[in-house]
Amino acid sequence: MSRPTSDREPRRPIVPRPPIRGGSTREADLPAQVTWGPATAAPSESPFMQGVRRLRKSVTALVGLGVVVLLLVVAMFADVLAPHSPTANDQMSTFQRPSWEHPLGTDQLGRDMLSRIIHGTRISLLVGVSSVLLALFVGVPFGMIAGYYGGRIDTMVMRVMDLILAFPIYLLAIILMVIFTPTAGLIGTMKVTGAIAIVRIPIYARLVRGSVLSIKEKEYVEACRALGVRDPSILFRHVLPNCLAPIIVTTTLGIATSIIVEATLSFLGLGTQPPTPSWGWDLKANVAFIQANAWLALFPGLAIFITVLGFNLFGDGLRDALDPRLK
Amino acid sequence: MRVYVLKRLIEIVPTVLMITLVVFVMMRSIPGDPVVALLGDAYTEEDAVRVRQEYGLDRPILVQYVIWLGKLVQGDWGSSILNGRPVLHDVIIRLPVTLELIALSMAVALAIAIPAGIIGAIRRNTWADYTATTIAMIGVSIPEFFLGVLLLLVLSIGLGGALPSSGWVYLPGTCPTIVCAAGLLGNAQHVLMPAIALGVGRAALLTRLLRASMLEVIRTEYVTTARAKGLGERPVVLKHALKNALIPTVTVMGLQVGFLIGGAIVVETLFAMPGLGTFGIDAIIARDYQQVQGFALLTAIAFVVINLIVDLTYTFLDPRIRYTG
Repeated sequence: MSRPTSDREPRRPIVPRPPIRGGSTREADLPAQVTWGPATAAPSESPFMQGVRRLRKSVTALVGLGVVVLLLVVAMFADVLAPHSPTANDQMSTFQRPSWEHPLGTDQLGRDMLSRIIHGTRISLLVGVSSVLLALFVGVPFGMIAGYYGGRIDTMVMRVMDLILAFPIYLLAIILMVIFTPTAGLIGTMKVTGAIAIVRIPIYARLVRGSVLSIKEKEYVEACRALGVRDPSILFRHVLPNCLAPIIVTTTLGIATSIIVEATLSFLGLGTQPPTPSWGWDLKANVAFIQANAWLALFPGLAIFITVLGFNLFGDGLRDALDPRLK
Repeated sequence: MRVYVLKRLIEIVPTVLMITLVVFVMMRSIPGDPVVALLGDAYTEEDAVRVRQEYGLDRPILVQYVIWLGKLVQGDWGSSILNGRPVLHDVIIRLPVTLELIALSMAVALAIAIPAGIIGAIRRNTWADYTATTIAMIGVSIPEFFLGVLLLLVLSIGLGGALPSSGWVYLPGTCPTIVCAAGLLGNAQHVLMPAIALGVGRAALLTRLLRASMLEVIRTEYVTTARAKGLGERPVVLKHALKNALIPTVTVMGLQVGFLIGGAIVVETLFAMPGLGTFGIDAIIARDYQQVQGFALLTAIAFVVINLIVDLTYTFLDPRIRYTG
């Protein structure tokens, strides 16, 4: 069944080779691995710094990071940057083409499109980031406990996770949003965040459980146990840092997915409700007028696309930098 | 093998039961019920109580679920509370539309991903690779509905209405009513844009995946062996490497089905197609319990069956993988 693999060859260090171990594991610090490390890397350089160094070399990652930072700035200073109020109707100037007064035109209620898109950044980023963080804070501890203790706890936790995973994600998110009844404002945003977070918890739980399963067999964990270190301390100080790399990568890429899910829910009319500006909602509302006012549907869509692209580029670069094995 | 398939088919039952039960409980935990919408302006408390009794909505949720299951076993999917039409009938006439959409979008995805993935891998770090990778990155980041809007702008509005922006023409023979538009050409015109909108995102993901696994497979010893024994580059890549590189791709294709069902909802909404997606979202928003149950049941079955098909595809791609009961 199994073919002989290269593992059988005698292991000997060949001339300087690129690092095969990334910042993901502390193994790089172990004496046995040092012979495999890059000849140029200073021995004092931490895996984290190695990751940062690799990240800085990646053009795409930096472009992605630039986009993300820019969007964060726009979201933070939306009130200053937006030339008009995103919600102020103006019946006298509906469906205006792009002009100096309204760089991206106005919609069917005469609202300034640019201001709506600038303010929409908030909803998109807020939901994208906080839903992933929420999923992370619930999913990671569950995954750690399931993986570390195993047995019945593992079965119980993972059964629940599998049940959520058994759903097509949009079906679950849509039903959750109907249960929460979509509303406007911060409460409405929190509801969307909650719905997306619930759907995404199992992803992190599974990921962490998998990593913990292998890490808990490592000698240093055994050593901790022998020294009488208590479980929570082992889990958070020794196990968690060693499965951070895949978590960070999945988180960044997960934000991109969450932003798409948020936009999709909004597009279906189940996201944050108007008057709160939301890209998905604007796109949907303006598709009806696409025949004569193409730009109206174009700009919110472009905003979603650029945001998602930014997080995807950054996430991809992070993956290459932090954990070459995930490539 | 046959035992394995049978076992897997039996395993489908609890999964589908779980999903339908969760949906059942969730739908009924939404504040308010369809009776309010059904009675509308003529709403009185007595009428509401009477109607709820009529539909059995006053019973405990689990009892309602068991009743629903009991009828289902007898082939009765229930009737819509709001319009009285039998759910099974509605689901069956809408199923072909969505199946066609999903099948064609998968075809679009593979038609793009297989050549792009192979080129990206064998011409690694050339402009062809960079182009393929960049396009894949863009494809992953573009939501289906925005791509749909772009297609609408270019192919429908830009070309002076060359392609219809909404509605549907049925495939000959799938016409659900006595009078309806049917025809091959009309159907192709209607399905083209939605299929591309739904397929491109999947194509992008599959391209990246296929490229990565091709890169791994090409370095293996048996590919070197195949080359060493004088086999041409084409059979080496297409017959030896591709087949093995396809395994992770097929897995992800299976996982994509969940996204495809969601994507179908969005794309069908955008192009106003009379498919299962629009049926499902309308039913959920209207809280038409029976229709939602029918939609969830069919979705769950499709989801599980497709995952089974994916597992079985492995045996074709890699004969070393054998399933024994």
